[in-house]
Amino acid sequence: MRNVFEVMLLLLLLLLPLVTAHAGGQPNSPPGKPVLTSCRSPEKETFTCWWKPGSDGGLSTKHSLFYRKESSDAVHECPDYRTAGENSCFFNKNNTAIWVNYNITVVATNSLGSAYSDPVEVDVVYIVQPNPPENVTVSVMEDKGWPFLRVSWEPPRKADTRSGWITLVYELRVKLKEEDDWETHLAGQQKMFNILSLPSGGEYQVEVRCRPDHGFWSEWSSTSKANVPHHFRRDNSTWILMTVFFAFTFLIVAWLLHLNRHNLKRCILPPVPGPKIKGFDKKLLKSGKSNEIFSALVVPDYPSTPSSNYEDLLVDYLEVYVPTERELQLEESKDPHDDRLKSDSSTSDSDSGRGSCDSHTLLVDKEAKEEARQAECGQTRTEVQRSLKDWDALTYAQIDMVGRDVPSGRVKTWPSLYSPLPRHSSGPLDQQSSLQMAKQHSLSTSSFLAQEASGESYWDVCSHGELPRPLRAKTPPHRGLRARSDADVSGAGLKRAPAGPRSLAPHTSEYVEVQRVNNKDVVLLQPVVTGCYQALPGEVYSKVKRVDSDNILLLQREAREEDGYPGAEQENTTQKASACVYAAVLVQDQMAPMVNGYVDTATMCTLTC
Amino acid sequence: MMHGTIRSVSCVWVVWVCLFFCSSVTMVGAAPICANAQGGCHVLSLANLFDRVIQHSARTHGISNNLHTEFEQYFMPSKNHIGRVSRNCHTSSILTPNGKDNAQRMAREELTEVILKLLVAWRDPLWHFHQSMAHHHDFNNFSSNKALEMSNMVHELHKGVEKVAEKMQVLGIISNTVSSLVSPEALLASDSSEWRPMRDYDLLYCFRRDSNKVQNYLKILKCRIIPEHGC
Repeated sequence: MRNVFEVMLLLLLLLLPLVTAHAGGQPNSPPGKPVLTSCRSPEKETFTCWWKPGSDGGLSTKHSLFYRKESSDAVHECPDYRTAGENSCFFNKNNTAIWVNYNITVVATNSLGSAYSDPVEVDVVYIVQPNPPENVTVSVMEDKGWPFLRVSWEPPRKADTRSGWITLVYELRVKLKEEDDWETHLAGQQKMFNILSLPSGGEYQVEVRCRPDHGFWSEWSSTSKANVPHHFRRDNSTWILMTVFFAFTFLIVAWLLHLNRHNLKRCILPPVPGPKIKGFDKKLLKSGKSNEIFSALVVPDYPSTPSSNYEDLLVDYLEVYVPTERELQLEESKDPHDDRLKSDSSTSDSDSGRGSCDSHTLLVDKEAKEEARQAECGQTRTEVQRSLKDWDALTYAQIDMVGRDVPSGRVKTWPSLYSPLPRHSSGPLDQQSSLQMAKQHSLSTSSFLAQEASGESYWDVCSHGELPRPLRAKTPPHRGLRARSDADVSGAGLKRAPAGPRSLAPHTSEYVEVQRVNNKDVVLLQPVVTGCYQALPGEVYSKVKRVDSDNILLLQREAREEDGYPGAEQENTTQKASACVYAAVLVQDQMAPMVNGYVDTATMCTLTC
Repeated sequence: MMHGTIRSVSCVWVVWVCLFFCSSVTMVGAAPICANAQGGCHVLSLANLFDRVIQHSARTHGISNNLHTEFEQYFMPSKNHIGRVSRNCHTSSILTPNGKDNAQRMAREELTEVILKLLVAWRDPLWHFHQSMAHHHDFNNFSSNKALEMSNMVHELHKGVEKVAEKMQVLGIISNTVSSLVSPEALLASDSSEWRPMRDYDLLYCFRRDSNKVQNYLKILKCRIIPEHGC
């Protein structure tokens, strides 16, 4: 028993300090410093201050608030600790002075001491925080098919806005129920607001708050809800923007097109090369009358005046070769093929722009033998005249044009002037055979010429022909110049078939100057004028009517236009029975170049005489 | 050619756009002033005057608030500054209602006079304040301009309130006892050199408060006289 007592005493002794220690807690201390957290006035007529107490120091602590008004030293204590709740002080209307600085301090006191908070200067005007607006109503209204929300509210009850004491500014926010972000709108001093931009239908939530002009925002009011019916949003501004955009784009494109209209035109509608034939009339072509078309093609002043484009003229002289017998044989043997080839090449050569001056076929210039020829020309003149008068029918000339790149040497042009004979001959003459015939003809005639004693010498001499003035090319003198008069050939043709050499009247051979070759491969001849002759008025020139399909040059006699004779250019060649081809026409001066389509058969003499 | 084309196209475009948008924008027609009878017209214009004056005073107060905040940051006066507590604005001699009830109990004429007194009392001090700010190189031009603007606005506000008082007297709303020019208190306040020892910061502090008073009194006056217009 004694042991039990001892143990208990021991236990008590042991536990006693613990008990006393527990009962004592921490050591008592004066209270901690309280802190004034905030002072607020809801209506600018009363205000409340809250503080946060510090540690109480283990003893019961009492907090008290003291304030001092500006320009007064009297210290007052808080009139109301309870109305505003715990740790607060409420200043009622009587105790509240606006535009007066309050110096407020909170004191915490306990038995051991007291603690003062830091003083706070308060002017009620600047601590106004009103209550949230009341009676927020949201209604769904419609404007031209568009729903919108009309929100209205009332100012907080306590705030006196009616007397103008407080001026409140409102703000509201709205969102769909399922959304997270609010859309805020500033409503100013009005108490009603229309929310127009509703993206879609659904349940909308609206809240409102307010603030005095210098103060704090109130809390958000309670949420008001409204159901907006679903609608399709058709925005006028979208259409306007689209229209504007498209119009703008269109204008720009149109302007760009306008700037590039020339390029576009060229690209889309490339210029169609029109025919550049003189006398070619599109309208006539459309009308479809071939006669008129062709007649229109015959240009009266064709070829053009020599003064204008004499240089352009492809003046090719057709050399008529008057060979010796030796040469004849030589030629016969080897020339045909070459010539044919060359002539082929020449015929295939459709170029019309080559200067005749450069042609190797051009005859020699006349400087050396002018006088001699002239002297000798006289004889031939008369003969030519005779032959001319005898001539009655149309002559056909086959001309094989040779271009300038024909090597010099013999004349490759075969001015074999056919009589109508080949025309009447049956069957189509192919070129080769006709060439042959031409050759034979020429040969025959040349042989005719060769036979003539005097003629030969003439011709020999005269063969050293020379081009008249317009021709500038200088070719080495040919021995084998040939000139053939139309009359000569025709005479030959009429009388007999192409055969061996015959004797003919010593007709002159003339140079036929090729004026030019036009588009249709019509060779326009121009007789090379000699100095001896005087142009016979009226019936001198032979005009090339056209080239037949067989490459037959149709000549006709035309009256010279200079003498006033009517140029009968339009007549049909077949009717031109009276047309004559003159063997020699001598045109002394510029007449020589201005034969437009005339075959001047008199030019031989200038060259040879 | 290109410039001409560009110019013509752009001209057409501008004209078109202008026409298009001008047609869609609804023009707000200006409401006719004084469309009613003579009496109604007077009332309307008084409300208009009041609104303008109140706006003016609001603006003045805003500027003074800004300047005060700037000063506070600049000087950083500690809260323990004892001098602040015993600050005495030179306008404290003017009796001003310190509460809503007091203000509402005050007669219109008194209230109008108070406003005018306050405005008069601040004319000179603000001008000198602006001068001192301009000379001080511590402050930037922005603050100096604000001070000048403040000074001017007070001057104009005073003129405006005088006009309002005149109008009210003409309309018989208030008696003809209002006269700020001859008021001895006002003269005293403006002539006294009480404000001179005040520092700039205290001056600003006092003016900030007084401008708020003026604004508030004007509002009260307006809502008392013309309650139907936005009160």
